Amino acid sequence: MPITNMNRRKALTMLGLTGAAGAIAPNLLVSPAWAARPDTPTGQIVVGVSQEPTVFNPLMPRIEVDDGVQLSVFDGLVRISPDGEFIPALAAEVPTIENGGLSEDGLTWHFKLRDDVTWHDGEPFTAEDVKFTLELIMDPNFRSWRTTGHELVRDIEVVSPTEIKWRMEEPFAPYMSILVETMMVPKHILGHLEDRNEAPFNQAPIGTGAFKWGSRKAGDHVELVANPDYFGEGPFVERLIFKYIPDLTVLYTQFKSGDIDIISNQYITPDNYAEAKTLAGKEVSVVPAPTVESVFLNNEKPQFQDSAVRQAIYAAIDKQTIIDALYYGLPTPSESYLPQQSYYYNPDLPRHEYSPETANKLLDEAGWERGADGIRAKDGVRLSFSNSTTSGNHLREQAQQFIQQSLGEVGIEMTIENKPPAVMWGEYWTQSQFDSVIVGIVFTTGADADVTVRFASDAIPAQGGRGSNTGQYQNPEVDKLLEEAGRIFDQAKRKELYGQVQEIIREDLPLLPLFQYATVRGHKEGLKGIEANINTRIDTWNAAQYYWDQ
Amino acid sequence: MTAVEIHTHKHRWWRSRGVQRFVQHRLAMIGMAMLFLLTLACIIGPYLLPYDELYIDLRARFAPPLSGDHYLGTDPLGRDIAARLLMAGRISLLVGFFAMVLSTAIGTVIGVVAGYYGGKVNSILMRFVDAFLAFPSIFLLLALAAFINPSPVMITIIIAVTSWMEIARIVEAEVKSLRERDFVMAGRMLGLRNSHIMFRELLPNMVGPIIVAATLTVARAILLEAYISFLGYGIQPPLPSWGNMLNGAQQYLATAPWLAIIPGITITIAVTSFNFIGDGLRDALDVRNDPA
Amino acid sequence: MAGFLVKRLWQSIVLLIIVSMIGFGVLHLTPGGPLSQYALTPGMTQETMDRIAEQMGLNRPLPIQYLDWAWRLLQGDWGTSYRDQQPVLTVIGRHLFATLLLMVSSTVISIGLGTWIGIRGATHRYSTFDYTATVGAMIALSIPTFWFGLVGIYVFSLKLGWLPAGNMYTIGDGSLLDYLHHLILPSVVLALVNIAIWSRYMRTATLDVINQDFVKTARAKGVGERRVLMKHVVGNALLPMITLAGMQLPNLLSGALVTETVFTWPGMGRLFLDSLGYNDYPVVMGLLMFSAILVLLGNLIADLVAASIDPRIRLA
Repeated sequence: MPITNMNRRKALTMLGLTGAAGAIAPNLLVSPAWAARPDTPTGQIVVGVSQEPTVFNPLMPRIEVDDGVQLSVFDGLVRISPDGEFIPALAAEVPTIENGGLSEDGLTWHFKLRDDVTWHDGEPFTAEDVKFTLELIMDPNFRSWRTTGHELVRDIEVVSPTEIKWRMEEPFAPYMSILVETMMVPKHILGHLEDRNEAPFNQAPIGTGAFKWGSRKAGDHVELVANPDYFGEGPFVERLIFKYIPDLTVLYTQFKSGDIDIISNQYITPDNYAEAKTLAGKEVSVVPAPTVESVFLNNEKPQFQDSAVRQAIYAAIDKQTIIDALYYGLPTPSESYLPQQSYYYNPDLPRHEYSPETANKLLDEAGWERGADGIRAKDGVRLSFSNSTTSGNHLREQAQQFIQQSLGEVGIEMTIENKPPAVMWGEYWTQSQFDSVIVGIVFTTGADADVTVRFASDAIPAQGGRGSNTGQYQNPEVDKLLEEAGRIFDQAKRKELYGQVQEIIREDLPLLPLFQYATVRGHKEGLKGIEANINTRIDTWNAAQYYWDQ
Repeated sequence: MTAVEIHTHKHRWWRSRGVQRFVQHRLAMIGMAMLFLLTLACIIGPYLLPYDELYIDLRARFAPPLSGDHYLGTDPLGRDIAARLLMAGRISLLVGFFAMVLSTAIGTVIGVVAGYYGGKVNSILMRFVDAFLAFPSIFLLLALAAFINPSPVMITIIIAVTSWMEIARIVEAEVKSLRERDFVMAGRMLGLRNSHIMFRELLPNMVGPIIVAATLTVARAILLEAYISFLGYGIQPPLPSWGNMLNGAQQYLATAPWLAIIPGITITIAVTSFNFIGDGLRDALDVRNDPA
Repeated sequence: MAGFLVKRLWQSIVLLIIVSMIGFGVLHLTPGGPLSQYALTPGMTQETMDRIAEQMGLNRPLPIQYLDWAWRLLQGDWGTSYRDQQPVLTVIGRHLFATLLLMVSSTVISIGLGTWIGIRGATHRYSTFDYTATVGAMIALSIPTFWFGLVGIYVFSLKLGWLPAGNMYTIGDGSLLDYLHHLILPSVVLALVNIAIWSRYMRTATLDVINQDFVKTARAKGVGERRVLMKHVVGNALLPMITLAGMQLPNLLSGALVTETVFTWPGMGRLFLDSLGYNDYPVVMGLLMFSAILVLLGNLIADLVAASIDPRIRLA
């Protein structure tokens, strides 16, 4: 049935282009035109994941694979389409300034909720649950995932069971994207508990989603079962099983042998792509991911103070060879920290050119002279720095050594100091103790292009800031643009401002962007409804729509 | 008896029975020969090869052994494996050797002190030995490796810190058995300082067992370095070590098995040599083998 | 006997305290922490990380954290995994079976083969067999276990396709035969070193017995060679071998850890590496205490056997 599939995809794109998806249907993927779906949930799907989902309370700290399960069990007020469109989920409509849901100044938020939603235990979902959820996030005794945006919410008022409104301390446009990632939890289950950190709910969650909690065999799998009372379209399979297979090679083998139906996080390794796409009975495709790989500099280090040095290092890195030779040509070179599919992406940034000559010239002109050992120095600062990453990531370690050699050729010494993950991403990272790091980061908050926590001057933890600007980048102009863009709700205007931020950062090079990730995803032929979404962290964001072709 | 012999025959030690027994020990001699060749190769080999061990050539990735100038093939970055193997040998052998020196020193001091003083000092020190032995040694290794910058010096220290216990036990037992001997008593009566008695009088009597244990410790240290570097927490690339050459080799096992096989065989050869030599030394220095 | 037991128990407790203090200290002084897994989360801020650390009690002074942990442990509370939010004992229990399966099967292999090689080597002293066994044992002791695992996978899984390359069972199968099929390679790899140790030990033990007068007498009396050997040698040597087994326990555990990493075997070794990678302190400490107790128990049994059974006295 590849033709049906193509038609659907094409239709989807068109919907997205007209920007009307949200207005037509509550669920983007809903349309009666494709009738091959079963009337009742049929069969099961085994999703293979290489990390184990362990966190099931959606408000607690979680990693990507946890999202995979949570997005099937829970719903937020709104969700986001692959095109970056907000779509109502538990909300009846997405509040905008046009429809009056948002006040002109962006300070009052007014949500109308669906009236046909029940929790998995049969209790109705109401505005009280929304209020409870937003308050629980800010409860100082609760171990909540993150509070950005939520901390601005004041005076939550339940107008009726299907209506809720609140005031924001200051206008904050990215909040809608944050709400996309904020799943609603039931007040009637958690409300009366004293310790929500250890609640039984956290191990057997009750949500509103297309799938109900089934069972978990820790260290092995999580099983979800179809929710027949789901308010949206779907689900179309009886069981959704997340099978934990820690080794990527074994994960791939199980995919080949057909033991798993979908190979999910962290997908097929690039070196297996060539073979994977020839597999019979499997659909394998390269899907862009929001993660951007970069050589991330600690801008407070004396070696990196000189702009010429950063420009020279960038010029001396042979990006294309790294991508082609080591990553099998899969990722796309990038100049921005934003994924190229983002609405806010600025496509007009200057293109990187690999040129040791330029690097040498820049350094010579800036007065970095080669010493007796061949390493450049200026004013007593040797052009030597360490580079770290998580040990065990072989492709990245190879790229690292290749860059080391390239830099050595222009008189820059880069030493390698790799560390185990727990050490790497501990204080070494958060308190900016590194010289430089090779890392893949999703810079945005949800789908929004707001990067205040990553690049604002007051977001540097090592200097007492509250964000995660571990590169210690400071630029007053960027600060001003970010603040302005966070306060306005006009998308076109915001795109322009974020475009400028990208321009400045490309010029300053506080980090040297290498490429945007591309993942090799795969599933069995005959499994339909699978749709990539750059705005979510995991491929199974829309499992409600999955079905086996009859 | 050996103590006296070692002292009196110092000027012609090579004629002692121990040495003769060692020379006649076939395995030990094979071990010595293998180790000699390996060391020689590591010292002069790199100068004879056409490639530098750090030179990356992405066009020559994954060349199998015996292809062109790459006698042992190339790795995923197109570096010459032969050159890397020999340079890695320098690092791995040095790490193994110095880890042995350090752990022998630690073990000897603790063993001598515990054995000589006995009583409370002994219980406290030996409980520490027991405690360290009760850890799976991998735990301490990995936790410590995470603690510091994994430079070769640090890796050496870490390995030493986790492998001194055996020697401490051996030395403690020896000292205990020698403590009440005449020459120690005499030393005490002469008013010699404790440290003098411990390290000048007692220690020379235990050289045999210490040498044997030390040889086996080199073997163990090389294996430990290989394991933590294999896991990626040891010697950091681009500096090659036998262990970190194996890091990532599992991934390419199907397509480039030589990445795993070549360094592994080399490690086995090196460790076998030390075990052979250790075995020979044990036989040679065993007093029971002396004719009565 | 009772006095000895009390003394040993007391020593073991002191030892456990030292082990827990060293372990706790090393673990908590290591840079990084359990929150590091969230450091790269989009939108994560230092403020949130600090708040979570506060709630988890991670920013209290180390001695207080230790005492808190130890006090709970005394009450039977091993803590809750940071990563899994399940009780530590539950987490360990889930992985215990896999490791025990591996350890037991490899011990069976190594004792069986080791005993046979050792006795045969001793009775055919200086034969080709004996010589090969001696050299083979020393080489076996020199092969890095993890590398031997890789070679095993290369030969038997990738080239011959006889055995699976990892995991404990096939998803959707899990029959006894399937388990055994997966068990062969890792347990043989883990057994290699132990076969060497057992065979060396068995050889020495057998030689000791063969040269004793009562065996010579028995032989002179015309009792069959084989019967003498079986009765006296095995009877005499096997009991001290329990001692050896006890002493070998830490090595066996370390070996299992190494083997599990290569074969993605879902046992305690893998759990240990994973937990260490995430700084899941409660689980790592739990595993540490668990293995220390196991090792001390092994030593205790070994000592008891050694102290209570002197085969020569009984045989006389």
